[in-house]
Amino acid sequence: MKAGSRRRWLIDLLITVSSFAASLVLGIILGEVFDIREQVTAVFIFSVFIVSLLTDGYHYGIITTVASVIFINYAFIPPFYGFDFTVTENILSTVIMLVISLGTSTLTTQLKRGRMYKARGEQEMMRANLLRAVSHDLRTPLTTIYGSSSALLDSYEVLTDKQRENMVKGIREDSEWLIRIVENLLSVTKLDGGKAKIIKSPTVLDELIDSVAVKFKNRYPDRHVDISIPDSIAVIPMDPLLIEQVLLNMLENAVKHAKGMTALSLTVTTNESEATFTVSDNGCGIDKSKLDRLFDDRYSTSELSPDSDGKNAGIGLSVCATIIKVHGGTIRAENGKSGGAVFSFTLSL
Amino acid sequence: MAQNKYKILVVEEERNIQSLVSAILEGEGYTVLTASSVEEGRLMYLSHLPDLIILDLGLPDGDGTQLISYVRESDTTPIIILSARGEESEKVRALDLGANDYVTKPFGSRELPARVRSCLRSHRHSSEEGHLPGGKFVLGDMVIDYDARRMFLNGEEIKLTQTEYNIIALLSERCGKMMSYSAIIKAVWRDGADDGSIKRLQVNMANIRKKMGIRPGESSYIVNELGVGYRMQDKA
Repeated sequence: MKAGSRRRWLIDLLITVSSFAASLVLGIILGEVFDIREQVTAVFIFSVFIVSLLTDGYHYGIITTVASVIFINYAFIPPFYGFDFTVTENILSTVIMLVISLGTSTLTTQLKRGRMYKARGEQEMMRANLLRAVSHDLRTPLTTIYGSSSALLDSYEVLTDKQRENMVKGIREDSEWLIRIVENLLSVTKLDGGKAKIIKSPTVLDELIDSVAVKFKNRYPDRHVDISIPDSIAVIPMDPLLIEQVLLNMLENAVKHAKGMTALSLTVTTNESEATFTVSDNGCGIDKSKLDRLFDDRYSTSELSPDSDGKNAGIGLSVCATIIKVHGGTIRAENGKSGGAVFSFTLSL
Repeated sequence: MAQNKYKILVVEEERNIQSLVSAILEGEGYTVLTASSVEEGRLMYLSHLPDLIILDLGLPDGDGTQLISYVRESDTTPIIILSARGEESEKVRALDLGANDYVTKPFGSRELPARVRSCLRSHRHSSEEGHLPGGKFVLGDMVIDYDARRMFLNGEEIKLTQTEYNIIALLSERCGKMMSYSAIIKAVWRDGADDGSIKRLQVNMANIRKKMGIRPGESSYIVNELGVGYRMQDKA
């Protein structure tokens, strides 16, 4: 922060000095070479305007005004190369320059503030929407968990063995779902609206893919994933835990939504500049109408889409998109040539 | 429900998690003792000398790591940390202070007993035979010959470089313990952990796994915890 404000200060000073120097040179050329001293004032007024427009706050514009007045009085108003501050012309141009300087500075400052408030407002709105959507998403599994567990406690004897088993299964399934939501939320809070800087560390692809494969196997022991990665060892700069989350979300999304899927694959290819990660399945594919908005951050719009089956892919995929965005990569979803969905993203090497 | 001889101390503030952990472990036949603060944990440890400690780091009267340091002053009792995802640096700190392993919350009913068994087994293993230099280390169908500095899998030698061997030997000496990146790097390269050295370690590890013919995701003798470290353990 400190380094930033110091740099800003240097830039402002540079703008002031160079714009004043430029009008000085132009003024001297106009006055001495072409002998049209009446226009010199206009040149300096222009420089005051430029300085006020481009710098922060009022002081640079005022400094330029004062310097201009002194210089015009000294060099371009009789007595030439001497001071006489009683000349009406000079007093008038001083007032004009001051008014322009103050007016411009006020306008630009207001403009900047407005932009800041707007950005802050958008962020606030996104946060509020996120909270609202998450509370909505949490209520569904909590209903199952709370309802089933109280039923089990209160009327254990009345229930059949089968009913009890189903209730306990429901509790486990919905808590697993809650765990995923919370994991994704954790990743989102790490990112904070897609603006926060992530710390990329060089990660060996084999280690990342091994970890993803082990975790996926723990969650879905019966679901085989065909894994194909380059033979040579690739090192990719990334936040490994966030990219792991992206890959798990994509694989899990296939398990949940690719109806009729019999094969699921995770492929990574590299070239000189980037690595491409692809998760593809041979299930039912993605509905054309949904394809465009798949990665849309459903929390950035004020309206909550009441997604059909409740347990939507929304949060998972929009988290993927955000994570890839902050990594500076690209993400896409399409339907494969031979059917099924293909999700892919790139990371630069 | 066969009784076994092991006593396990569970130090956890949350009553519900405490009773869940107790129920899971008692179901496996362990004797469970509970404590809900650092101080209580210390007293229970001193009066009962448990065979293993399960420790949550967030306790009402202080940081659970205080208890790790306290126990490690005098004993090698295995300690398993209960911790949440996203607290990688906390896990690493606990491991470097002497914790043996960690289980991430929320955990299933199979994960915790599996980790407890593996910790107890390797602890007994190392205290009975000692990890003296020389001799042989045997885990499933993997054999490490410390004298000849060679490694065998299913009777066939796996040709390792010096560095790869050093990593494998280190993990086998501390079998069952999750070793942080920095602990391995310090022991193998006598170096500090930074991006470059972690990358070097990961590359070596990926090569070792390739030489052992283990494909990504296959359960193997080496468990890879992304962002934390590695652990050698028997095939699950």
